[in-house]
Amino acid sequence: MVNIAVVDYGMGNLRSVAKALEHVAPGGKIVVTSDPEVVARAQRVVFPGVGAMGDCIQELDQRGLRQAVIEAAASKPFLGICVGMQALFEFGEEGNVDGLGVLRGRVRRFPAEAMMDGQGEKLKVPHIGWNEVHPVLSHPLWRDIPPGARFYFVHSYYVEPAVPEMVAAFTHYPFAFASAVARDNLFAVQFHPEKSQTAGLTLLGNFVQWDGAVGE
Amino acid sequence: MLIIPAIDLKDGSCVRLKQGVMENATVFSEDPIAMAKHWLKQGARRLHLVDLNGAFAGKPVNDAAIRGIVNALEGKIPVQLGGGVRDLDTIERYFDDGVSYVIIGTAAVKNPGFLRDACDAFPGQIIVGLDAKDGKVAVEGWSKLTGHDVIDLAKKFEDYGIEAVIYTDIGRDGMLTGVNLDATLTLAQALHIPVIASGGITDQEDVRKLCALEAEGIMGAITGRAIYEGTLNFAEAQALADQWGGVV
Repeated sequence: MVNIAVVDYGMGNLRSVAKALEHVAPGGKIVVTSDPEVVARAQRVVFPGVGAMGDCIQELDQRGLRQAVIEAAASKPFLGICVGMQALFEFGEEGNVDGLGVLRGRVRRFPAEAMMDGQGEKLKVPHIGWNEVHPVLSHPLWRDIPPGARFYFVHSYYVEPAVPEMVAAFTHYPFAFASAVARDNLFAVQFHPEKSQTAGLTLLGNFVQWDGAVGE
Repeated sequence: MLIIPAIDLKDGSCVRLKQGVMENATVFSEDPIAMAKHWLKQGARRLHLVDLNGAFAGKPVNDAAIRGIVNALEGKIPVQLGGGVRDLDTIERYFDDGVSYVIIGTAAVKNPGFLRDACDAFPGQIIVGLDAKDGKVAVEGWSKLTGHDVIDLAKKFEDYGIEAVIYTDIGRDGMLTGVNLDATLTLAQALHIPVIASGGITDQEDVRKLCALEAEGIMGAITGRAIYEGTLNFAEAQALADQWGGVV
């Protein structure tokens, strides 16, 4: 039986994430929880999130979830989504907030001056809609997902990992940013797999079967 | 969240209907190209065009105006277009004209095989428009309610590879009575693709409420009468949507 904790720290309703996991793990036990004990006992942890990174960290702390999330990120199959990805990093530029520091690097806002596409048109922030994801490392979570598969994005910030080796995929908007990162048992994505239909559900399906090892 | 201005075309003019009734049309501009340029200038990131005559005729009628609008936008923002799309040739012509997304409504409900073919031929460029009342899908300019449950049908269609579902609550459209948030949210949560809300958006409060649901997959909101009658300022609404929803 697959036992997955979806960390609920008050940042957005997590129904869509839970439903997508139920879809790929029929019969699996999926718990949306803000109880650190439940997170600690789960076999796998999904760490979603919406809103500002600073608010997320604050809400996590208010629920006493920080340690449970950090420990899960170091010990079992762990999937960060959107702000759940961003919060894992050391530092958020906007508002000068400290993240959880699980991953080295920072979170930046798309810089207005760089937002020009090939035709000289200004690209808007937030980045909303489907965009291509180009994996740059072989990973069990990319199984059956073709390079350039399209995923759904909604964000104004992106992560800038300090260690290029952790970048698992790039997306262009308009420059290449890290749309997925991976380290050991941890995988995190900027896009929303729960809203990315076939590609997204494939990734979530890969996650619920993943043993946390990086080798194929 | 994207706030998407709607330009509904009837006899070459930009109009709004109330609850889909052709005779209830209010003409807001006889120059839809100027209107499209106006919304572009106001910061729109996508335009929603509807060939109303086409929807009733089952084939393109205002295609000349549509080409004019697409040309005037010069590729600066994508256009999604619906109304009267019943075959692959029509879709191909619209894409050749520079339309980014084609919306299939009635034809998808009546002939899912056509929708599937369209998705196979134009992956990532097909949007399904589902109009519903009390959870049941309506077709043919809302004149007929079908027995189809909107969620069941949308779930079936998402497997075909559609870009998004436009959900219009036909009890609300053009009535400025507020969005049917519960129905929109229920649909968004049931799907694994984004939903674009349509119908009933009146003011900033509606935008704020929809933005709160962005994380559940509500990608945008189509607005018509509110921005034409002025109960909603488009530029302000998009700025607020960026502020409320797009902080991630």
